[in-house]
Amino acid sequence: MRKKKTLSFVQKKERYGYGFIAIWLVGTLLWFIIPLIESLRYSFMDVKPETSGMQGIWVGMDNYAYALMGDGVYRNALADVLWEMLWKTPLILIFSLFIAVILNQKFKGRWIVRSIFFLPVIIATGPVYNIIKGNIDTSGVSSARQFSTLFSVDLIGELFEFLGIYGMSDAVQRGIETISDNLSGIVWNAGIQILLFLAALQTIPSHAREAAEIEGATGWEYFWKIVLPLVSPMLLTCLIFTVIDSFTAPDNAVMERVLELQQLDWQFGRAAAMVWLYFGIVMAAVGIISAVMRHFIYYEMD
Amino acid sequence: MSRSVMHLRTQKRAYFHRKAFIDMFWRIVRTLLLLGLCFVILYPLLYMVSCAFRTQEDMRDPTVMWIPHHVTLKTIQKTAEAMEYGTTFLKTMLLNIGCSLVQVMVCAVTGYGFARFRFRGRRLLFGVVLMQILVPSQIISIPQYMEFRYCLGLQPLAEKLSPTFGDMLNLINTPLTMYLPAMTGNGIRAGLMIFIFRQFFRGLPKELEEAAYLDGCGAFRTFWQVMAPNAASAFLTVFLFSVVFYWNDYYVSSAFFTRNETMALMLRNLKTLLWGNAAAEISPREQIIWLEAGCLLAILPLLVMYAFLQRYFTEGIEHSGLAG
Repeated sequence: MRKKKTLSFVQKKERYGYGFIAIWLVGTLLWFIIPLIESLRYSFMDVKPETSGMQGIWVGMDNYAYALMGDGVYRNALADVLWEMLWKTPLILIFSLFIAVILNQKFKGRWIVRSIFFLPVIIATGPVYNIIKGNIDTSGVSSARQFSTLFSVDLIGELFEFLGIYGMSDAVQRGIETISDNLSGIVWNAGIQILLFLAALQTIPSHAREAAEIEGATGWEYFWKIVLPLVSPMLLTCLIFTVIDSFTAPDNAVMERVLELQQLDWQFGRAAAMVWLYFGIVMAAVGIISAVMRHFIYYEMD
Repeated sequence: MSRSVMHLRTQKRAYFHRKAFIDMFWRIVRTLLLLGLCFVILYPLLYMVSCAFRTQEDMRDPTVMWIPHHVTLKTIQKTAEAMEYGTTFLKTMLLNIGCSLVQVMVCAVTGYGFARFRFRGRRLLFGVVLMQILVPSQIISIPQYMEFRYCLGLQPLAEKLSPTFGDMLNLINTPLTMYLPAMTGNGIRAGLMIFIFRQFFRGLPKELEEAAYLDGCGAFRTFWQVMAPNAASAFLTVFLFSVVFYWNDYYVSSAFFTRNETMALMLRNLKTLLWGNAAAEISPREQIIWLEAGCLLAILPLLVMYAFLQRYFTEGIEHSGLAG
């Protein structure tokens, strides 16, 4: 009797699974895994491009030491970018949640407002944003923000002066100024987050609101006790999205420095070390924040 | 008794009065707030339009805020000439649409594989997808450049056989540098697209495929004939985003194109294109109208596309399954 070799359904499905991801797998090996390992190798080497390919000598941690100790531009840029990420990310999250709550209400012209808020997503990623930001030198290596056409007026400061309040403490004044100066930066970077929050808000059933109203909850209580817990999973998604969006942008100061080293100085080893260092710090930060946030997220059990 | 009812009524009336007042107040605040924020977003665009049609004198004239005294098309014309607008537009469009099409297909197939099949190493491989979302292209662009320059190490061998054959395998400055990664699901933001497709396909009911399997349909045919038609709107959304990503990209393309091939690169090098080496001598204040005109030209196709397909951009994200 001939023993017919048949695959079970499960085995068959497993093969199909590999079949579906095969093209991607090949591409990933060629254009992702190998370059990733190469780049990590570069970061420990003094690399010089030769006619036959990259030649390098092993220098150990020298490039990393240079990035942290030797390169003032990089160090300052790193400190600035991390600091900006630290205060800007929560502001973007709060702002986009707030706008999403407003856009979730019904009013005339809602779709116009929504499409305007989403407009920056289409534009803000290209070199156009550099020019808008006033980065006249479009080569992207210097960042003289002298002719910004982004809207930035110290409205709040003027409002306080109008009201006759002068004696505010400097720290508060400065804080408010930074926020109002960066308003457009925040608005311009919140497009996707607003949509994500909006999607989460729309999953809240309308009877939740009715029940809360019958129980006599105010809008304020409704927001804090019902809306916020229900959108909290999205909060983490948006947080990670915001961080990644800002740190992979070619127009942030650290990446500009890296680009400068790569394209002008041909210091590929040092550039690789810098970018890996930056990547490591940001990933560590994201890891810690999401581990902490996980405790505060409310997952509805089905 | 009746007194307490009366009391209740006045209380109720007061409550409704208060509610109506708060509602009214909130509506006004909301309108002002939204108008203000929309203005903040539109401000640079309005300024762009206002600048692009000005003459140089208007730029120096401090009385001109928004509406130029002398309207001219000369700036736009000259900028368009410098950017070789027609050819650049066609080239960029062709490259974008081609890359986006193949990339979206491959990402959909891959996303479906991750969504519906259990196989060994799936979790690990999906971890690689997440890594692709997280790792910035600045990390891998230089090794990728070497791969394209030497065609994965084949080029030096070919060079020995014949120099022309060697030249052929130098892929730098050819569209292949964009197409090859796109074709294999590794183009610009491909990781994100795979993730979105996986989420989307996981959200579709399993009964759809099971019926097809029972009818003896293979997995690949099931995918194209049953699943893909159900995912038409997801395909469109991801495709549109892909076109936008490719259109706006200048980092990846500047790494692999030494000549100005795409719109974003033209805009980035606009100053050199307009004035050559003399660019440094021209004051930023004069440069600004040219740059703004260039911006307007570069984003015009995107704005037109957005105006017509706005629904698919915004609703697509809401329905992509990212929310669930």
